[in-house]
Amino acid sequence: MTAAPALSVRNLTTTFDLGASRVAAVRDVSFDVMPGEVLGLVGESGSGKSVTLRSLTRLLPSGAEVSGQVIWQGRNLVGLAPKDLRKVRGGEISMIFQEPATALNPVLPIRVQIEENLRAHTTLDRAGRRRRSQELLDLVGIPDAARRLDEYPHQFSGGMRQRAMIAIALASAPRLLLADEPTTALDVTIQDQILNLILDLRDELGMSVVLVTHDLGVIAQTCDRMAVMYAGRIVEEGGVSPVLGHPAHAYTLGLLGSVPQAGTERTVLRSIEGTPPALSAIPPGCAFAPRCVFATDICRTRAPELVGTTEGHAAACHHSAMVRHQLGVSA
Amino acid sequence: MTDLPADVPADAPARSARRRALPAALIGGTVILGLSLILAVFPSVFAPYDPLAFDYGAILQPPSPAHPMGTDNFGRDILSRVIHAYTIDMQIAVLGTIFPFVFGTAVGAIVGYLGGFAETIFGRIVDVVITFPFLVLVIAIVSVLGPGLANMYIAVGLVGWVFYGRIVAAEVKVQKQLDYADAGRVMGYTHSRIVFRHLLPNSITPAIVYWMTDMALIILLGSSLGYLGLGAQPPAAEWGVQIAEGKNFMTTAWWIAVFPGAAIVITGLGFSLLGDGLAEVLRARR
Amino acid sequence: MTADQPLISVQEVSKSFELKRTLSERFSGLPPRAVHALNGINLDIRRGETLGLVGESGCGKSTLARCLVRLYEVDGGRVWFEGRDIAGLSGTGLRAFNRRVQMIFQDPYSSLNPRMSVAQTLAEALNVHRMVPPGRVAARIAELLELVGLPQDAAGKHPHEFSGGQRQRIGIARALSVEPEVLVADELVSALDVSVQAQVVNLLLELQEKLDLTVVFVAHDLRLVRHVSHRVAVMYLGKVVEIGPTEELFRAPRHPYTQALLKAAPSLDPSQRSRKVAARGELPSPIDLPSGCLFNSRCAHVTAHCRAEVPRLEPRRGVHQVACLIDPSDRTDPS
Repeated sequence: MTAAPALSVRNLTTTFDLGASRVAAVRDVSFDVMPGEVLGLVGESGSGKSVTLRSLTRLLPSGAEVSGQVIWQGRNLVGLAPKDLRKVRGGEISMIFQEPATALNPVLPIRVQIEENLRAHTTLDRAGRRRRSQELLDLVGIPDAARRLDEYPHQFSGGMRQRAMIAIALASAPRLLLADEPTTALDVTIQDQILNLILDLRDELGMSVVLVTHDLGVIAQTCDRMAVMYAGRIVEEGGVSPVLGHPAHAYTLGLLGSVPQAGTERTVLRSIEGTPPALSAIPPGCAFAPRCVFATDICRTRAPELVGTTEGHAAACHHSAMVRHQLGVSA
Repeated sequence: MTDLPADVPADAPARSARRRALPAALIGGTVILGLSLILAVFPSVFAPYDPLAFDYGAILQPPSPAHPMGTDNFGRDILSRVIHAYTIDMQIAVLGTIFPFVFGTAVGAIVGYLGGFAETIFGRIVDVVITFPFLVLVIAIVSVLGPGLANMYIAVGLVGWVFYGRIVAAEVKVQKQLDYADAGRVMGYTHSRIVFRHLLPNSITPAIVYWMTDMALIILLGSSLGYLGLGAQPPAAEWGVQIAEGKNFMTTAWWIAVFPGAAIVITGLGFSLLGDGLAEVLRARR
Repeated sequence: MTADQPLISVQEVSKSFELKRTLSERFSGLPPRAVHALNGINLDIRRGETLGLVGESGCGKSTLARCLVRLYEVDGGRVWFEGRDIAGLSGTGLRAFNRRVQMIFQDPYSSLNPRMSVAQTLAEALNVHRMVPPGRVAARIAELLELVGLPQDAAGKHPHEFSGGQRQRIGIARALSVEPEVLVADELVSALDVSVQAQVVNLLLELQEKLDLTVVFVAHDLRLVRHVSHRVAVMYLGKVVEIGPTEELFRAPRHPYTQALLKAAPSLDPSQRSRKVAARGELPSPIDLPSGCLFNSRCAHVTAHCRAEVPRLEPRRGVHQVACLIDPSDRTDPS
């Protein structure tokens, strides 16, 4: 892997204005996405995974401030003027969301919503746009595309709506797809279809994907590399197999232990005590220390750096050597 | 708005532990109505003159140190009449709305919980009542029953509860879909316990807020009826009656009508502020 | 009451929900249409076991859970509790049934009355069912809080002061306050974060051992169901398509739908990746049910026979029951 990254994020920090104070939802996050790679961002609610994704194209509510660098095609998106950013957003970089029911416009037929994106980001004429929108629905596996183009979102099932949203996202022939919990609202057999679709499209179109999810299984089955987030920071990153097989951060280990696995039925799960901290009350030192079974004095005072353990695998944990002696996924 | 809250810690201990400051509207409303209530209960303490006493030596006098709000065409002190009118008008506000509030809320809670046929019947009653303008309906009923405050309360009670019922029924209908209502049923609680102990406390806020506005409206209604001669009867000191008395002197003695009018506006404002403030406080508790 | 007699027996239970007709549909005299949520459910729940009910949305698992506690009345069939039809219960009989069969709800945010403190919520249940003498109520509340792992100062607080995981503990404490024998848990942890899920699941297992509870565990998460259940029933479109001991059902699923479901559930092991879609198509409309086997529109092994005949839930190799017309040995199954 010597190719240049498609997307390079450095020291990304996002803060929100809470009236009286500012809280940081994302703190000093850095990662790369290679061309054609699927990167998974995993974490629990409040970990900052969705905010990180949205910060890339600054799709954030007013009062949010982004600093750091998001290098895309040689440009830093963080400093980009809103007008130029709009061209990138929904163009070279497309986004799909968890809840297609609310992300689609309920009063416009699917055709109009796809053609709208085609008009904004391609030079196709009217007839070309018509043809292309049907091709796109075919591409995302919506049967009877010609007829369904003129239907409204409410006439689609949840899975079909997610497919339609992907079709809209693909209209601009994006080089990077940002997917925010795209299958969380779907049933497993439909989730399986959608994840396979995203991987097929990645193969066909050669785009990169950043996939945000709370489900380690989705990461394991879909992503090439993964980053685990906790309290606004990346605490561990690396290839999916090494991270899940030999986690080097106590939080990743705890997360894996919380998921029931075959062969351990009706035994006590190695859960994590307590709940994730509120953004306004992030503990000093390592944010995970209060919930961590490995925590020692140093964890409560000094925040650990993200350091490499093996090739391409890094963790921000003072005790990663000890953690790595525990078992990850039992094969 | 984005779906940001999904990522802001939903599972972290709630932060609402810290006390919120009381809203300014609540404080303002409470002060105005508190003073109004004191005037209503002890008018003679504050009124410098007898509100009904004629003084032919001081007819139609403009505001002066002796009569801060002037006198009317019988030489009665306007200030004293405005203060004494608090007794009647605050009574109108409470007595004119308490029955609609209590009865309408109870009916609404039951209708909202039962749904089905009860809801259909109630819906028809609502349709009939809201087809007629409220004031016209009340005037019609008072005309049949005869003028006077007691008959006004009856007329308002016959019509007004419907609005409370509609508000509460809609809210209970939403609340009963929530799992805590089902949890009550699984617990084997009686229907009346579920309706009145569980659903109603969570549904009553909009009715209380409406009640405050309704008290302001009912004072206006009482004054309107007083003005029309269907409510409080002269020579009683009541703001509507006073305005009616002053209407012939508007160009020559403006103070006869203007000061009672100002009292109506201020009291109405007090109820509105209290309603707004209560709405804010009660909602914040969720 | 012999040991083999099931505690709860569900026989041919069906339940549908009528859709509201539009005005024009009423005038044109169309009959009301209905969502067929349950279409002839048969299963037994044994004393002391955990029965997992698993399936995707629209399979009827939550509807069945609500029928078990009589939040819904069944349209057809019967639910027997200790040999009595629960549809016939009323008054004190129903209240006694309610006390013995409790439910925990999915949504930690709506399942508690926001205006009542934890102590009020628990005291109400204790007092209505006269579980303890009035003087013992406070002490019993303290015991219940301890039992579900909540701090003692929780008693005076209101639901909004707790996190989702803690609220589910309160819901469990409320259900346990009346000392039930059966606990129906409807998607108990699906609204919680993964690390908190594990805490609540651990608690459930611990309480079941300690209090000798019978548990009906309704969930869409196969991993969770596998973890907590002794037996599992897989549901599809309001029918049980397969039921059997957990270990056997997960090791050797017989019904094509169960197989697809297991395959679609993402494994934590990246080496077990499959780029083959587990099940084609989507759930048919529960308003116009397909004829024959309800899974025939998505089944990889479908034959003409499957479109004509309704399969019955029948034993295959002893304890495991499957509702499928195709003999597994006839299948050209790649796995």
